[in-house]
Amino acid sequence: MRLNRRHFLAGSAAATATLGAPALLRAQPSEYVIASSLPLTGPFATAGQMVAPALRMFEALVNEDGGIGGVPIRVTAEDSGYVPANALANYQRALATEPNLIMYFGDSTGFMKLVAPELRGENARLMGSTSFASELSDPANNPYQYLPGPSYEDQFDILLQQIADEGGSTVAFIFSNTEFGRDPIAHGRARAEELGLRVVLEEATREQGADIPTHVTQLAQSGAEFCILQGYVTGVWPQLIGGARQFGLPTRFMGTFWGMENAIADRVTAEAGPILDGYAGVMPYKYFYDPERGPVYERYATFQKTAFAGTPLENYMPTWGLQALLSLTIGVEALRKVADKGLELSADNAAEALSELRDWDTGGFFGVPVTMEANKIGTGRVYQYSAETRLFTPTSDWFTV
Amino acid sequence: MGQFLQFTINGLMSGAIYALIAVGLVSVFKATRVVNFAHGYLIMFGAYFYFTFAVLVPQMPFAPEWLQSWRPEWMLAMRADLPMFSPMAAVLDWMANLPRILLGLAGALVCNALLGLLIERALMRPLMGQSVFAMIMLTVGLISILSGAAQLIWTSDAEFVPALAPNTPIRFEMFGANIFLFGADLANMAIALLIFLGIVAMVRYTKSGVAIRATAEDQSTAYSMGISVPTVFSRAWVLASTTGAIAGAILATRNGISPALGLFGFSVLAIVLMGGLDSYLGVFIAAMAVGVLEALTQWKLGGEWAGIVPYVAVLIVILIRPHGLLGSKEIERI
Repeated sequence: MRLNRRHFLAGSAAATATLGAPALLRAQPSEYVIASSLPLTGPFATAGQMVAPALRMFEALVNEDGGIGGVPIRVTAEDSGYVPANALANYQRALATEPNLIMYFGDSTGFMKLVAPELRGENARLMGSTSFASELSDPANNPYQYLPGPSYEDQFDILLQQIADEGGSTVAFIFSNTEFGRDPIAHGRARAEELGLRVVLEEATREQGADIPTHVTQLAQSGAEFCILQGYVTGVWPQLIGGARQFGLPTRFMGTFWGMENAIADRVTAEAGPILDGYAGVMPYKYFYDPERGPVYERYATFQKTAFAGTPLENYMPTWGLQALLSLTIGVEALRKVADKGLELSADNAAEALSELRDWDTGGFFGVPVTMEANKIGTGRVYQYSAETRLFTPTSDWFTV
Repeated sequence: MGQFLQFTINGLMSGAIYALIAVGLVSVFKATRVVNFAHGYLIMFGAYFYFTFAVLVPQMPFAPEWLQSWRPEWMLAMRADLPMFSPMAAVLDWMANLPRILLGLAGALVCNALLGLLIERALMRPLMGQSVFAMIMLTVGLISILSGAAQLIWTSDAEFVPALAPNTPIRFEMFGANIFLFGADLANMAIALLIFLGIVAMVRYTKSGVAIRATAEDQSTAYSMGISVPTVFSRAWVLASTTGAIAGAILATRNGISPALGLFGFSVLAIVLMGGLDSYLGVFIAAMAVGVLEALTQWKLGGEWAGIVPYVAVLIVILIRPHGLLGSKEIERI
């Protein structure tokens, strides 16, 4: 065969492809890593220790579905003790030791704000977290951080609107003296004024071991009709409500996501009686016991039945776990979109893919398709606790803010 | 004025609990010269033991039904017509829990005493004669062991326990202001003060107390006078553990229970330094002062300052009197 120009070019292309293939194959890692910080010790250890098994389940189910672009994932979790500096150190260690780190899950508002300026160039990764801090919904300045639900400010807006709709005129804000607790307070004050509500008390407390009599006294003397609690997980909020009930205060209590866990409300009811009856708040997701929970919750339930048999997670996934699962699902969904396009799984590409999550069916987390707008999903509904049924049940339809 | 009174009483109620916690720290220091950094975690164990015997044991299949909830006919009849949150309903609900509360307290006292004894015998006594610094460092290490062990045994779940006393609301008007008090908090304050006074009286007037004071003065001389110093050490640890058990149970009823309770000991450590490590009276004054300062700061400046102002006061006192308000001044001759 004579070697003409056409044969020469075709041969060269074939040779290049053959020689280059191993390099391409080498570029595909054997696994991707999603690292996380959880409060496995410290004031929010209850939540952290329930979320940790959920991450293991997430890893198993994503890998069952073929990982990301055919590459399996590995999810790691390190303890932060709910100290933002510890979580930052965990993130920096993950960056240094995990060459295939594609995403990170943070454990607090404090950490997310602390790490935000670090997320530049090589140090940037797509980042979900436990936080609904309003500042994180800012793609211009924090393109890699996102919220798996409405921000705390949005949640305050919803509750304040409900108070105004019910003809309320005075409201108290009681919050933990943390980044988490303080986040929506200034915004809430301004929004209340717009709605013609008078904020008669703004009371900061310790996040654990608060001086309940003093805070209840302040609340009683403020004469607030409604009280919004913010910045608590397992403690303080039930004791505050219990104290107010003991005094016969007519104040109606409301909360945001982290103060809405059914398991905690049940334990309080079991020990202290029906003090939480009527307590309401914003919850972005369906509770795990929802009769119409959808295919994703069903899949979790099947997995949990065998993998977590004999533990509290055998038949129930707390809202804290659902939040982490959805947060990671959002990240993986965005990364899969990047992989499908054949692009590098960089933070920039993943951040861009976040905005492509429009009218997305989450398979059960929300009752309606949701859209990622300004790096947050502003969908949720109001639930109310009944001491009789011992369940939070919806009192509003799904809405998007 | 009424408001001032309200927050002062609230502060005194917190202060009494600080004093109860502090008494354990002072007892161990007086007898052994060791600052027990792990005291907060002993308290946490006391709280968990209370939870075990007041909540978990009554739920077990072998436990009689009355242990979980004692409701004789007459009580049911009385309770039936009462509104949910009336004072009498609170008393009756508390009485229904009384058997398990008593079991919880007894269990917490015994188990924590055994734990204190174990720590003293297994960890502290072998170090007798060594530098006190080594023993102090050992208590620092103990923090990790106790904290980890509690999470292994009871997990990190937040739990709730029955109150030690009926939480009846008490309301009255004074100086033109409505005063609100919780019955359970007043009872907690009374329990804390009685135990505190009992220990002070014991140290002052009993033989064991004299032995503790003698050992605190000079261990070698106490030995030579026939005092069994190791026994004094054991008693001090048992005293710290049992008072810690009561303090833990009280804290658990106020705030719920979780491993974070252990951190409470650190704030009390500052109070003990302010009062004087070896002075019960000084520590009592400091505990009350910090409790009241916290409540008044919360009232006037808000919660953002409540965690700072009292401890600035502690710092100022320590700067002026490094040995604390009433602590013994140690003079080292070189």
